[in-house]
Amino acid sequence: MINGGTAQALAHIVLATGETPLFQPGERVRVDDRVPIGHYRVPMYLRGKIGTVEAVIQPRGLDNEEEGFGRNAGNKRHYYRVVLPMPDLWPDYPGSPNDTLHIEVFETWLERIA
Amino acid sequence: MHDHDDHAPETAAAEPPGFYEVLETAVRELLVEQGLFEAAEIHRQIDVLDSRTPALGAMVIARAWTDAAFRARLLADGRSACEELGISFYDDTGLIVLENTARVHNLIVCTLCSCYPRPVLGLPPDWYKLKPYRARAVSEPRKVLAEFGTVLPDDVEIRVSDSTAVVRYLVLPLRPAGTENFTEAQLAALVTRDAMIGVVPVRLPEPGDLP
Amino acid sequence: MTSTETLATRLPNDIGGVAAEAISQIDHPLLPWEKRCHALADVLDFHKIINTEEKRRGVEALGAEMVAKLTYYERWIVAFANILFQKCILAPSDVAQRIRTIEHELRAGLRS
Repeated sequence: MINGGTAQALAHIVLATGETPLFQPGERVRVDDRVPIGHYRVPMYLRGKIGTVEAVIQPRGLDNEEEGFGRNAGNKRHYYRVVLPMPDLWPDYPGSPNDTLHIEVFETWLERIA
Repeated sequence: MHDHDDHAPETAAAEPPGFYEVLETAVRELLVEQGLFEAAEIHRQIDVLDSRTPALGAMVIARAWTDAAFRARLLADGRSACEELGISFYDDTGLIVLENTARVHNLIVCTLCSCYPRPVLGLPPDWYKLKPYRARAVSEPRKVLAEFGTVLPDDVEIRVSDSTAVVRYLVLPLRPAGTENFTEAQLAALVTRDAMIGVVPVRLPEPGDLP
Repeated sequence: MTSTETLATRLPNDIGGVAAEAISQIDHPLLPWEKRCHALADVLDFHKIINTEEKRRGVEALGAEMVAKLTYYERWIVAFANILFQKCILAPSDVAQRIRTIEHELRAGLRS
């Protein structure tokens, strides 16, 4: 039967590399502290900082740092809206400790914190 | 606000084009001659840009204030909801609409350049693109808000969204009290560009203001 | 980091969190050429001749002095020229010749 066939087919779907988001909302992640030259889209104030994934941005997107050099194929992964507490970003932050910063970060800039 | 330059009469006797204006003309003409695009596409895109103003965003906000189901769709997928109202997105950007509440106030910035929800708000003001706002909105948002006359208590969380990629932001401000009987058009007339950036709330006009 | 490392690694537009003065709420209606420049950027992006990210990188690559001293759209058009040269779509001499022609025609009243 078609229904049975569909269910079986769905059970065996294999997702391509990069199709599955590596991170889910609620996970704690660290922004890499690597130092590129020439073009980047992760501000210095974010490097090495720890935040929480707020949302997975859909659909996947191109790596904008590669896109800046005209490379627009084969590198689609997810961006993540990450939230960070302001006091973690700025020493002596002049505001409420509950204030937050939200920013999109490409998957290759994030690592899961154990 | 913009300054009126009393020394520059708006007549045909304007200054000759400067270096960069001539450069733009040269580059554009050469590319058109090479067949890479047509001159008409530039004219068309100028018309597209001219058609995008904060009035579009205000219409979206007013609809969200008066239609709870639309509001939910807007918060789930900002671009699709705008497209429902006929606001096309001519580029690949997405839109996340950020809802202000009694406990949360949103502010948008692009520290790296000038990302801004152009399809729904038009072009950003100069101050949004200049260093003082871009540098300080992420590190001292309350001081920045105060410079716009906006002071929020510490129990309101300020959320600053820094655009760096393909998503753009629009703030859905709080609907002011006393507008319960306003029509959608009257509500839209209250919503300013700066309220949708998040530097000011939406305010009722002062007594004596023109309708 | 030494100061020269910072020059090499920190982009001139990466200013989030740096000290800056009070915000002056200035704005100006776009000059006609600025609007044409913005439309040019969009059309170049539509055709993927210069995509938006390439434009950003090209503006960054102007370096700190030009980023500071050129206005917003002045930065764009210089960046476009540079990128078009890098991609061998235009040559610097093409642009130079056309600039000379335009300036001549403007002086001669052959174009407005």
